[in-house]
Amino acid sequence: MIAIYKKELRAYFHSIIGYLFIAFFLFFIGLYFYINNVYSGYANFSYSLYGIRYFFTLLIPMVTMRIMAEENRQKTDQLLLTSPISLERIIIGKYVAVLTVFAIVMTISGIYPLVLSKYGDVNLVSSYTAILAFFFMGAAYLAIGLFISAMTESQALAAIITFAVVLITTLSSTLGQVLPTDNFTAVKVFLLFVLLLAIITYVMMHNLTFSILVGLLGSGIVGGLYLIKPSVYDGSVVKFFDWLTISTRFDSFVYEVFDLSAIVYYLSVICIFVFLTIQALKKRRWS
Amino acid sequence: MKLKGLIPCSFRSQKNHIFFHVSSQTVDTIYLVSFWVYGRRNKEFNGLDQKEEKKLIEVKGLVKKYGNHLAVDHLSFTVERGQILGFLGPNGAGKSTTMNMITGYISATEGTVIINGHDIYEEPEEAKKSIGYLPEQPPVYPDMTVREYLYFVAELKKVPKMQRKSMIEEIIGRVRLEEVGHRLIKHLSKGYRQRVGFAQAIIGYPEVIILDEPTVGLDPMQIIEIRDLIRDLAKQHTIILSSHILSEISAVCDTIMIINHGKLVVSDTPEMLAKHQKGTNNLILSIKGDKNTVEEALLALEGIEKIEIKENEETHLIEVSIHQSIDIDVREDVFYALAKHRCPIFEMHTTSVTLEDIFLELTKSEEKDLGDEIEQKTISQDNQGESVVKETEEEELRDDSNL
Repeated sequence: MIAIYKKELRAYFHSIIGYLFIAFFLFFIGLYFYINNVYSGYANFSYSLYGIRYFFTLLIPMVTMRIMAEENRQKTDQLLLTSPISLERIIIGKYVAVLTVFAIVMTISGIYPLVLSKYGDVNLVSSYTAILAFFFMGAAYLAIGLFISAMTESQALAAIITFAVVLITTLSSTLGQVLPTDNFTAVKVFLLFVLLLAIITYVMMHNLTFSILVGLLGSGIVGGLYLIKPSVYDGSVVKFFDWLTISTRFDSFVYEVFDLSAIVYYLSVICIFVFLTIQALKKRRWS
Repeated sequence: MKLKGLIPCSFRSQKNHIFFHVSSQTVDTIYLVSFWVYGRRNKEFNGLDQKEEKKLIEVKGLVKKYGNHLAVDHLSFTVERGQILGFLGPNGAGKSTTMNMITGYISATEGTVIINGHDIYEEPEEAKKSIGYLPEQPPVYPDMTVREYLYFVAELKKVPKMQRKSMIEEIIGRVRLEEVGHRLIKHLSKGYRQRVGFAQAIIGYPEVIILDEPTVGLDPMQIIEIRDLIRDLAKQHTIILSSHILSEISAVCDTIMIINHGKLVVSDTPEMLAKHQKGTNNLILSIKGDKNTVEEALLALEGIEKIEIKENEETHLIEVSIHQSIDIDVREDVFYALAKHRCPIFEMHTTSVTLEDIFLELTKSEEKDLGDEIEQKTISQDNQGESVVKETEEEELRDDSNL
């Protein structure tokens, strides 16, 4: 695991990617820090972090696209998978390496609250918990990026899909608020998601019967529930999109509230996607 | 001795002498236990079956299906310690798939592989410790220097830290990478990259080295170098090598396995393979004379199994090809017999069947088995004499493949 970790870190810092990622991130943090904290004079550093959450859409694919896609393309996965090291350790080693790159950014950004405290009364505890929560949010996005990268051989494709997924999870709460709130719209939205799920399973597994089964079963459940008890869908769209939005969990940290459920949510996303990555790679060896 | 109350000075020693602070009686028990463990180990070591000891890789009923396509079809074989096994087959015969399954890169639809007593699917990490694998495309990272890469592989293969440096330097010397050790792999030529792949496969000196088409895309000089390297490695390692080029396999391997359509066609030593083939020694003659007289004269001789006669229209000579049995040399008899009939011999030379011929014949007959049975029947009606020979030959081939 340590061998993989070291190799990955070296790969980030022997190419320009690692430096570029850190430089861009720090540039945006610095920019928002200047606008919110220096220019407008807010003492709370989490405002700046809140502002830059949109940049995850661009920055996450940058570091995650190569993780597995590059190995798949160069066939170096043959070396890794035939070495006396388990797949779990390979993936975890790679994930921890990309986390380390992100942790460097967060460590450097830890200087900002200290700088602010020189000029006034700053709640350092809430600032640092916000940084921690922001780190977990990024870690969750990185896990999603890792999973997408493991699914493909093309870095470009991995980058585009990651960009789209991160964008959707960032914007979906806004989307949920715009949509009509009646129950029939809810059914339509859920049917759309069932369709999406069926397509994803087909792309991943290339098993048409299974995908059709997933689609039929999903739409059956959605339709059936609507016929039996339409009240289930009351306000469900907003709730669903909120649940899907990774970035809204960060909101409470902006109001200086330590939200444990958000941390748990991020940790679950991380675990699920790291687990899914391992399973997907195992699955591919079986097919 | 009284060890009660003795407190170990560091955590490490505490771990090692964890029982020590109890009483002297326990110390005795520890001695007893350790003797027992030692004895058991010895017993295990001595009790190893001689046969099991020899068997290094056991492939049992390996099947790989890609959808409806059967890439590998119930393949079973064993590889013994010190063997150099050549895996031969046309492109798409299932060589790479089989190797990928042996090394645990892909899983089998059915069957399993046991390496050094460890099942590749149940104890993958233990089993993989005994394997070094060079896939078709060397699995190198273009952005690393050769040394960096080899250090990474050594770490990955759990080579103890103390040995890493010396082992890598030794291997670099062995595959002659000294000049490029500090260069980025992406700047290396194909031959050097292949050598880096080689170095990677032998790091940690695993018991089995598996090489998938190691000389593809190299120039003749490099091929010879790689071949020498394989011979050198074969002194200490068991090697499995695949290729679709026969000369390569026959040059280094002591056992050849021919596979086609994912099935084992035949497995034997190169010499035995040649012997099994009927009519290994062909005698080609150019004779002046009457076709029937020549045929009569030759068929009367002992040791001749089959003759083919053709008349060359330009030179008006009769061209005869004689299939003789292996142990009898008929050249002398042929000379006297033809001299008796006053048919002068213009030319006489022998050709022996090469591996190339065997390979083509075997893979072809395999296809024939599959499809052209009806066609074969019509042939046998047209030209009975010849096809009878053909059929017996094919039967023998089938026997071979059952070996």
